Parts: sequence; C-alpha cells; structure tokens
Amino acid sequence: MNLNANSVDSLVAEIQGFSGSSQDVNHLNNLLKQSEDVIRSQAATFASCLTQLDPSIHSLGYLYILEACTAGPIPEAQANELVLSVVRFIDVCSVAQIRLVPDKFISICKRLHEQVMILGAPMRAVAPLLTAIRKIQPSSEHLTPLHPDFLQVCLLSKCYKTGYSILEDDVYEVDQPRDFFLYCYYGGMICIGQKRFAKALELFHNVVTAPMSSMNAIAVEAYKKYILVSLIHLRQFSATFPKYTSSVAQRNLKNFSQPYIELANSYSTGNISELEAFVVANQEKFENGNNLGLVKQVVSSMYKRNIQRLTQTYLTLSLQDIANTAQISTAKEAEMHVLEMIEDGEIYATINQKDGMVRFLEDPEEYKTCEMIEHIDSSISRIMKLSKKLTTMDESMACDPLYLSKVGRERQRFDFDDFDGVPQKFNL
Amino acid sequence: MDFSQLTDAMASRSYDKVADICDQLMLQIASQGVAFQDEWPYAVHLLGHIYLNDLNSARFLWKSVPLSIKESHPEVCAVWKIGQQLWIRNYAGVYDSIRSFNWSAEIQDFIASFSGKFLLTKKYTRRMLELLMSAYSTISIQDTALFLGMNENDATNYVMQQGWNVDAASQMLTVKKQVTVTEQKIDPSKLQRLTEYVFHLEH
Amino acid sequence: METEEEASGQMTDEIYTNGVDDESLSQQQQRRPIISGEQLDIEAYAALYTGRTKISRLIFIADKCGNVSMQLEALRMAYDEIKKGENTQLFREVVQKIDGRLGPNYSSDSGWMDAVDRRADQRKEKLENELNAYRTNLIKESIRMGYNDFGDFYYAHGALGDAFKNYVRTRDYCTTAKHIIHMCLNAILVSIEMGQFAHVTSYVSKAEQNKNDLDPITIAKLQCAAGLAHLEAKKYKHAARKFLETAPELGNNYSEVIAAQDVATYGGLCALAIIDNINFRNFLELVPEVRELIHNFYSSHYASCLEYLGNLKANLLLDIHLHDHVEMLYTQIRNKALIQYTHPFVSVDLNMMANAFKTTVAGLQKELEALITDNQIQARIDSHNKILYARHADQRKATFQRVLQTGIEFDRDVRGMLLRANLLKHDFNLKASRKI
Repeated sequence: MNLNANSVDSLVAEIQGFSGSSQDVNHLNNLLKQSEDVIRSQAATFASCLTQLDPSIHSLGYLYILEACTAGPIPEAQANELVLSVVRFIDVCSVAQIRLVPDKFISICKRLHEQVMILGAPMRAVAPLLTAIRKIQPSSEHLTPLHPDFLQVCLLSKCYKTGYSILEDDVYEVDQPRDFFLYCYYGGMICIGQKRFAKALELFHNVVTAPMSSMNAIAVEAYKKYILVSLIHLRQFSATFPKYTSSVAQRNLKNFSQPYIELANSYSTGNISELEAFVVANQEKFENGNNLGLVKQVVSSMYKRNIQRLTQTYLTLSLQDIANTAQISTAKEAEMHVLEMIEDGEIYATINQKDGMVRFLEDPEEYKTCEMIEHIDSSISRIMKLSKKLTTMDESMACDPLYLSKVGRERQRFDFDDFDGVPQKFNL
Repeated sequence: MDFSQLTDAMASRSYDKVADICDQLMLQIASQGVAFQDEWPYAVHLLGHIYLNDLNSARFLWKSVPLSIKESHPEVCAVWKIGQQLWIRNYAGVYDSIRSFNWSAEIQDFIASFSGKFLLTKKYTRRMLELLMSAYSTISIQDTALFLGMNENDATNYVMQQGWNVDAASQMLTVKKQVTVTEQKIDPSKLQRLTEYVFHLEH
Repeated sequence: METEEEASGQMTDEIYTNGVDDESLSQQQQRRPIISGEQLDIEAYAALYTGRTKISRLIFIADKCGNVSMQLEALRMAYDEIKKGENTQLFREVVQKIDGRLGPNYSSDSGWMDAVDRRADQRKEKLENELNAYRTNLIKESIRMGYNDFGDFYYAHGALGDAFKNYVRTRDYCTTAKHIIHMCLNAILVSIEMGQFAHVTSYVSKAEQNKNDLDPITIAKLQCAAGLAHLEAKKYKHAARKFLETAPELGNNYSEVIAAQDVATYGGLCALAIIDNINFRNFLELVPEVRELIHNFYSSHYASCLEYLGNLKANLLLDIHLHDHVEMLYTQIRNKALIQYTHPFVSVDLNMMANAFKTTVAGLQKELEALITDNQIQARIDSHNKILYARHADQRKATFQRVLQTGIEFDRDVRGMLLRANLLKHDFNLKASRKI
C-alpha cells in the first residue's frame, strides 16, 4: 500500500512538473504510458488526487486519470458527478495536450454521451460535445467518432440549429465507416428539421452510395428518407443509382423500400387524390418507418410541383384554372399556394386579384450585380481548391504501397473507377 | 443562472440577438446539470426565434417545453400561438393571436416591435407589406387590411402613402412596385482574377 | 397594367400573319374534300388481296365494324373464299360467326369438310412417304422440296406453326441463294399471319444478305414485310422509311400480304407523324385521300388535313395491321401540325388557331400545355389574352444558370468522390492491417 501511495504521489508530482513546454509534455506522456496499468488498477486512489491537479494546466495527466476512473462500470449515484467532471474537463483542457492521446479523450466523451443518455438528459451533452469536437479535430475536414454522438443528442434534445452548425463543414477525412454512416444519417435528419433539403439529400446520398460490402440498416433507412426528401425538394425521384454505388446497395435497397418506390411512382403521375389514397392505404408502413411526417410533406409538395409546372407553360393563367389544374379545391386556396411559393422564392409571379389572374415571370436575376460576381468568383476558387485536393489524393493513392499491392493482386476484381471523369480543366 | 446578457439585450431592444443568447445560455446551463426548465424564460426565447422568422427553431423549442410549463404559463402558449399561425401561413391569424392576449410588461414591448401600427419599425408588418408589393399587382382593400393587421381605412391610407392607387368602385388597390437601387462597387482584384481565369481557359 | 395593354395591341397586328387570313380561308373552301368518308366498299377492298390474308382481313372487319349488315357481308365473302381452299378449321370459325344469319347456303357444310379432311389425310400420307424416301436416298434437293410441300400443305390447312417449322427446316437443304430467299419469304408470310413479327424481321435480314440474287419485286416485298414489323413494334419512323423506300415494282405482286394502297396509307401516315419530307408519289396516287391530306398538311391547311384524317379513321380502324396504331399516329400527326403551325410566329392568337384545328380554345390550351411541358414547343400561353408567345431563350442568362448549376454539381460530386475514396482507403487499410 505504501508503495502504491508513493507511486501515486510521485506520479502526481511528475504530472505537476512536466506540464509546461511541449518537450515536457511529451516526456510526461511516455511516463504515463508506462504507468497506465498502475493508474488503471488504482483508479479509485488516483481519482482522489484529481483535486491536486488543474485540468487546464495538467490536462494530459488529468485525462489519463479521468479516463481510468471512467473505464469501469459507473454506479448510478456517481453518474451525475462524473458527467460534471467530464464536462468541466472538456471545457478547460489544453488542446495541445489532449491531442497527444486522442483515444483517451474520445473515450471519456463517449462515456459522457452514454451517461447523459442513461440520465435521460441529452441536452447536457450538447455544448460539451461540440466543444470536444472542435478541440480534438485536427481540422474541420476530419470526422471524429464524436460527430454522430453530438448529432444524436442534438436530435433528442431538439437542438437542431446547434446540430446544423457542424454540418456546414465539409468533411473528407473519415476513420470509421460506421461513424460516417451515422453522421450522415443523423445529419440528414437534422437538415430535414431545418428544412435544408439539399444538404439532407447530399448526406443521404453519401450513405446510399458509400462503398459497402454488406447491407446495413442505416443505408436502408437513409435510402427511404432519400426518396422522400428528393420528392419534397426536387419534386421528382430518379430510381437509377450512380454507377459508383456498391453492388450490394444496387441489388437490395429497392427491395427494402418498396412502398417508398411506389410512392415515388404515384407522385410522378401528378394525381393528388391517387397519391393521397396510396398514402392512406400504406399509412401503417410509413408510420412504422417513422416517416409519416415526411410523407405528408411529400403530399403537400405535390401542389407546388403542379403549380411549378404551370409556370413553364403559361405567361398568365386564372386562379381558377390553376386550382383546376393543380387539383386545388378553390381559387382562393390556389392564390394562397401561389403566394406561399412567391414568398419562398420558388416561383416568380404576380397575382392580379382584380382579374383573378396570375402572371408568371422569368427569374429576375440579371447576373450583373456585384454579389453575383463575388459569388461566381468564390465558387471558382472553391472548385479549384477541391480539384487540387482531388489531384493530390489521386497522386498519394497512386504512390500508396498498400493500394498498389492490392491493385496488383486483384486487378480483375477491383476497379478504382471512382476517379473516372474528373475534369482536369479546373486545375489552374 | 446568469441572465444579465439577456436582460441587457432586452433593455437595449436588440431583439434580433435574443434567440442566440437564449440558445447559448440554455445549453450552457444544461451542461452544468441545472434543472432550469421551471425558471426558463420560454416566452422570450420563443419570441426571439419568431422575431427572426426562424420558425423551425421556434417549433423545436416549443416541443421541448415540459408539459407542466405549457399548462401553468399561458403566455408561453400565447407566444407559440403566433408561431403556429406563421407556420401555417395564416397571415391574418398572426395579428389575431397577438391581439387576443394580454401580454405581460416584460414582453409587451418585444411584441409591439414585431407587429403594430407604425409600420416602418414593425418587423412582421413590414415583411407583410414587402410580400404584398412583390406578389400582387392588384389586391382588394379587404385583403390588404388583413395582411397588414389594420382596419380598411388605415390600411388604404397607409398604402396610398406608399404610392398605391385605389379604385373605389371595385375596392381594389393597384400595387406600386418598389424599385431598389443598390450600389454597385466591386473590388478590382476580383475582376482581375476572373479575367485571368478566362485568359487561362482560352489559351 | 399599361404595358400589358400595349403588348396586346401589338398582338392584334401580328395575328393576321397567322396563316389563316381571308385569302387562305377562301382557298380552303374551294378545296372541298373528295373524301371517302363513306362506308368501306368491302368487295373492292377484298379484291386487293389474295390467299389467307384476304380471309383474315375480312374476319377482322367483321369483328371490328360493329355494323350487322357490313359484318354479314364480310363474313359471306370470307365464307366463299374459304370454300375455295382447304382450311376447315377457319371454315368452322366463320360458320360459327355467321350463326345461320345468311341462310342455308352459308351453313356448316359437313359434306365439304369431310371431303376436304379426307383428301388432306391422303395427301399427308403421300407427302410423308415421299419425304421418307427422299431422306433414305439423301437427295438434298428432293428433301428440301419435301419439306417445302409439307409447309405448303400445313399452311393451306391453317396449321401455321407446323407450316413455319417445315419451311424453316428446308434451310439445311438449300443449295442456292434463291432457295434461301424462297425459304425466307415463306417464313415471313407465315410469321405475318401468326403475328410473330420478330421472326419477320430476322428472316427479312436473312434474305437481304443475298443481295445479288434479289430481284426488284422481292426487294419490295421484303421492304413491306420489314415495314409491317416496324409498325407492329410501334417504330413508326423505321416503318415509314421502309414503306417509303418500297419500289413501285411491288404492284399487286404481294397481295397475299399487302396491297400497294396499304403501302401508301401505312407509309403516308407513319411518315406524316414522324418524318418531315415525304416523297413517294407513285404509291400516293393510289390513295388520293392520303395524298390530299399530306398535301394539305404541307401547305398548312390543317383543318382540311384533319378533316380528311377524321373521315378516313373509321375505315383505317378496320385495317388488320393499322388498327392498333391509328390513335397513336393520329395524335402524333396532330401534334406535329400544332408544332408546325406555331413554329414561324412570335405570337399566335389562340382563337384563330383553335379555329384552324377545329377545337375549342380551352381544348387547344390543354394540347399546347402538354406540348410545351414536353419541350416540343418553346412558347408560353397568355391565358388571359388567349395568345401564345414564342419564348426567346436568353442565351446569356441560360449560360449563367448552367454554369452555376454545373459548379454546384461539380462541387458536390468531387466531395462525394473524396469521401468514397477515403472510405475505400480505410476499408483496405483495415483489411491489410488485419492480414499483417
């Protein structure tokens, strides 16, 4: 016991002594690694000396001990205390120090996530997990294992706006496919809540077309939502998969999503009463899939689809004719639909109440404003950056010995056509 | 709970900042494990979202309000009533739901800045006027009054000041479109860069 | 509001350039239809054909015409025609359809049937013996003739499947290109009767491989057969090409399949629906109605053209090959007329256009709506003033829109690509590390 007490004291002393320069911290990290087993076996003893450490200065040592303390099962009575200490640590810890042992940092965050879920208080983890992601990410392009957890607590605590804030980052670096699938799936749901349908489509599309060797439930659910969002946002759905979609997905997804495919077929006829009848007949299936809300949005988007098609055909049309063609019951209701679409910028039109007419206009954008020039300029530079990134990746992949040996070994079976058709023109 | 930031924003009528302040504060307090719900200024928070026309956030916030609060705080429900009318785009219903509640002193001014008689300073009423100008060429006096939340006389007088014409026989207003002139000034380096792209592509 | 009124004022000036001005109206009145809207002259029609197709066509008319006297007339002629042959099964069918309505002379003649069947049995036995003898002696040409005779025999008795099999079996014993062509023509004939148009296409191309041995008449026959196959497959463009290419040598040489008049009608309608330039005077002279309606179409007398078409419709629906395609061809011809009518104009008065197409403004509006949605007409309808305005594509705007859209797509696709590449990298890094 004495020995142990000594080793505890000396370790604490070392932590306090070597938390300054980066050299010191690296040295400390080596020491801690060697003592890992001791710390783990004596977690309770070590826990008591956390009070002697300042998490913002002695972050590395603090993290080792905190991680050891949270490794085992946590009694219910201590859950709250544990959550509080992890939250405090995340808040003040030194970025440079925790990045030396990202696995440990992620592990305590995962414990935090797990505990708030058990406590039934997901909102408690929203702000801390966001801070944790920002601290542990080497760059905003890296997906961390904390992303899906964060999005999940956002969904559960209805903090959609906060959740959406990380979806604006472009993510490229992925370590675990599973994290990526969940990130896209939860992210897609957040986007739906925020009515950011284009982004939602992109995220679900990522899941559906991701390389996979066996079917998984996330992909199936993502595909169902992809169909629905596609109808709501694009007012159509194309059942053909891009060629890079895995063969497993191409073969199986449709079978798992039959009512959704049929819904899309019914939608394409433009007949609202038929669509409504189909939804009523299949209500239970959509309800079981937790998609009834989205399905209802699909139905109401049909009116907009039908009105939008009229703008391609008519310069002027009476409200009554719009009501008749778009299967809306009264002219006044048709007027409200048109007004809503004007308000949302979906169509350009003016309503003439005196004559009961609507005049459809062309997009007034003249592409002459400064904003437009700036928008084009920034798009071009963004695309150039992306192109460069792609080329760099292509080159590094071509030099990767693992990849080369794989391609050499399985040339027939494995075709890397992901890089097909990349226009080289954008590399200025 | 430290509400000083919120109090300051309310006092200085920086209503567009209210939603963000509340969001941040709520997450921060939640992470400290404090049971904040009973004392949370839900009405102000909701109105903050509605003020910015962020109906998604308003709706999700409403969904997270505990049932006991919905039952004991009629003002919270009354604020959500406004959000609900906006959500279903019952343009005139928004005014009804504002008028039909006796707002507490705390948020009376907040509500008034959202909608009321002196258009230019009222967020929602102003937005409605702009919508009418962009979406209609002619509109009945009756509908105009509903959209602007005024009686027909006030509405007619007001829009006539904006240059609209009234046809007394048909009780129709002819909308005068707004011409917006924005200053066009561009950073020459941007043009330079675009020129270089074109040059590069052509050679 | 003011600008709208100004615009519509301009319109009224332009309307007179719509092609339906006073002069052309009076011209139209002179050109009174010579049309055969009257009931089909079955006798004249049947005289165009020989063999089995004559009977099939008569029975088809009887089935479709919905007019008792016409039906009985067709059946009577079919009965007479069958009696000249040996197909007792078809005879039974027709007798059943007549159902005693033509008196005792057109009843089930069991004496005739027994005699025919008896003779058939004898003939079959004889053919079998002959064929067996040829086969034991291995005389190629005789075996070919034997199978061919069998084909003829079965064809005459209405066993089309067996006929086809025997004709095709001669193939292995063909020694000259002429034999092959003969075999193909037989196979084509039977296949058309059976409605097996995939066979028709394949035997036509087989026959056409022997280019040097084809005489002009055979070429024309093959073109007709190919045309029919395309027509059945709803490939109207190809069908039109084949019928239009058919040489006048065809004459009445292929009456067991098709009459020269049919070439004109089938070809003319398909071409009018799909192709722009029709030039086959030779055949068109045979069917003045079709010639006139095509002429009217190209001289923009759409009302008259549509009137001809309307009058012809009932009879065309009685045609065994055209029946299934009349509606579709008519729709396409009408659409083409609508498109052609609007093409030269900046603006078109819908009242006048509706007049020219013998329809209501509301109906026309629906038709135009469909064509615009389908991007076949680039215009938009001013439903308030009932004017169609051509839509002038703003190239500059369209380019900007396309460029920005392409940028968005490129952005999204590249990001997707990077992600998938990273996932793949992870995947095989993982596999590789497991192996190590």
